[in-house]
Amino acid sequence: MSRLNDHFRGAARVLGFVALVLGVGAVFALIEPRFLSHASLSGIARHMAANGLAALGLTFVVIVRKFDLSIAGIAAFAAMSMGALIAAGLPLWAAIMGGLALGAVLGAISGIAISYFELPDIVTTIAVGSICGGLAFLYTGGRSIFQNFFQSGITDLNDARLLGLGVSLWILLAVYAAAWFVMSRTRTGMAFYATGENPVAAHFSGIATRRFVALAYVLCALCTVLAVLLILAESGNAETNKGANLMMPAYAGVFLGAAVMGGTSVVATFGGILLITMLLDGFALMGVPYYYSDGVVSLILLGGVIAFSDSLREWITGLGLLRPRAARKSENRA
Amino acid sequence: MTMTYIDKTTRPGGTLRRRMARLTTDLWLPAAVVVLTLAVASVRPQILDAGNIAAMLKSFSVMAVMVLGLTWVIAAGKIDVSFMQVAALANMICAWSLAQGWGWGAAIGAALAAGLVVGVVNGLLVSAMRLPALIVTISTAGICASIAAALGKGTVIRIEAPGPLAPLLDPVLGGAVPPVVVPVLLIAALAWVVQERLAMGRYIYAMAQNEAAVRSVGVPVVGLGVLLFALSGVSAAAAGVLLAEHLASGQPMIGGPYLINGLTVVLLGGMMVRVGKPNILGTLTATLFIGVLFSGTALLGLPDYQRQIIQGALLLIGLAVATLAARHHGTGGHRDGA
Repeated sequence: MSRLNDHFRGAARVLGFVALVLGVGAVFALIEPRFLSHASLSGIARHMAANGLAALGLTFVVIVRKFDLSIAGIAAFAAMSMGALIAAGLPLWAAIMGGLALGAVLGAISGIAISYFELPDIVTTIAVGSICGGLAFLYTGGRSIFQNFFQSGITDLNDARLLGLGVSLWILLAVYAAAWFVMSRTRTGMAFYATGENPVAAHFSGIATRRFVALAYVLCALCTVLAVLLILAESGNAETNKGANLMMPAYAGVFLGAAVMGGTSVVATFGGILLITMLLDGFALMGVPYYYSDGVVSLILLGGVIAFSDSLREWITGLGLLRPRAARKSENRA
Repeated sequence: MTMTYIDKTTRPGGTLRRRMARLTTDLWLPAAVVVLTLAVASVRPQILDAGNIAAMLKSFSVMAVMVLGLTWVIAAGKIDVSFMQVAALANMICAWSLAQGWGWGAAIGAALAAGLVVGVVNGLLVSAMRLPALIVTISTAGICASIAAALGKGTVIRIEAPGPLAPLLDPVLGGAVPPVVVPVLLIAALAWVVQERLAMGRYIYAMAQNEAAVRSVGVPVVGLGVLLFALSGVSAAAAGVLLAEHLASGQPMIGGPYLINGLTVVLLGGMMVRVGKPNILGTLTATLFIGVLFSGTALLGLPDYQRQIIQGALLLIGLAVATLAARHHGTGGHRDGA
């Protein structure tokens, strides 16, 4: 009975989210008809691919109840490293492998420091991010890298199409599908959730909790590298500020999705980042100045977290407005 | 149980060895400041020029004011990553108000009020609504940065007339000491007394260990949380006002670098006096240390990014040492956020 109820509630949340996305889309389309144009929609798909990958990485870290503030720094260092490899004449796949390997090492450093040595997560990742931000300047002293970019074929990741959709969107969908399968259909996924919800209980259930925390940071760094790869593909060069705009949308996507869907998950992040990207692109299309975008994302994030917080629900319940729901709960228990 | 036991035995007045250990934790950072200064001075004697000392003390004052409130927020086991953008917002409000012809008194008042409002909002959301501190302050930081940029439409606002704080920044005593260090040190001394001698100081450190326990013995935890975030907001705003006077302009992008600098000084300072616990005296000493490091690397001609790498590595090493030391003493170290 309660299982069926959970299913209904889950379906209701998904429907609510779809309605929210459609509603936001309708409002933008009414104010600015160009919002539904082909160029605008494919722009949203491209931006969502980069934002969505970064947000997915953060999702793993948030599921084990940690934070990662090194996303911008790792993105910058990986961008310049992949740029340098491409400029050195390496084939594209080798450059991408190099970037991913670097990301794995950087993620492992944070992850091991936080899980095995029990360093505080927020400050550790800020420090690692700062070091990476500095290391990004090593190759060129801060100048842009663009040599060999067009010959390497990296721009195809942005321009090429497959079955009418951009390649970057296919990459996003493939990575999300794999992540969804692992996180909600396998023991590994359960172990991530168990580690986040109760590390002590998870430990005594035979889960190597420290390994999963470290792994979450590695996955986060790998996703960040993929995200910045798509940004390089779109702009056709590598600069040290690439990826500076990945972090806020990622946080907003993860926490907004979790707030609406009632928990952090791959699907929730997908919905959250879709909503955030639509809002960002919509505002840009309406000519809202660039410096408002971080503020708008922050405001949405804060609003979402407050609106769906436990304390607000308790407060409203206390007002006696939600009595029927409390009554229903006790019925279920009986 | 073990915690209180060890705590008692490491109190001053133990054996000579314990007293030596105590002295080491108290004095290693000031010693590092002296050693670093001498090391730089042996290659670049200009670091001890009156003009350079005045510049170092000015940035010391700004930095110290900015992170005074942050020190206690982190000491209480919370995190505030909005302080640098609160400073940027206060800085821009100051410049913008002057451009509207408000006069300095109103401009400073508006800037400090903005810092108070952001701090109280942070405090209420974190303490009363029990939302994660990182998410709340990351959001308010983004909002502050946006408003700061919007006030100047994305660019710098110049300040024409010097204000009442100008004499504070004008160096005296042979051009080496800007008078602003006097009020800054007085405020810090007051904060030190509050932290060491009043019950409030005890509650701050107790909150980091076990908030529920502190609540159940009757301490108004919510009020204290709001107060700590409010203090962080106001002190960051005061630093923004000082910056407006110092730079004669409002700079919307000024916040960025202060995030890592601020956290570095608080956590580095947290390894002195009370190991693993951020405290006012440690923060001041670490601010001095970072100031000498900045000036030294600039004089040695190191590019900005190399200093950034050095500083990040320093922060990581500091964290590792503090965490291991805290574990060794059995006090569990400090915790962040959420």
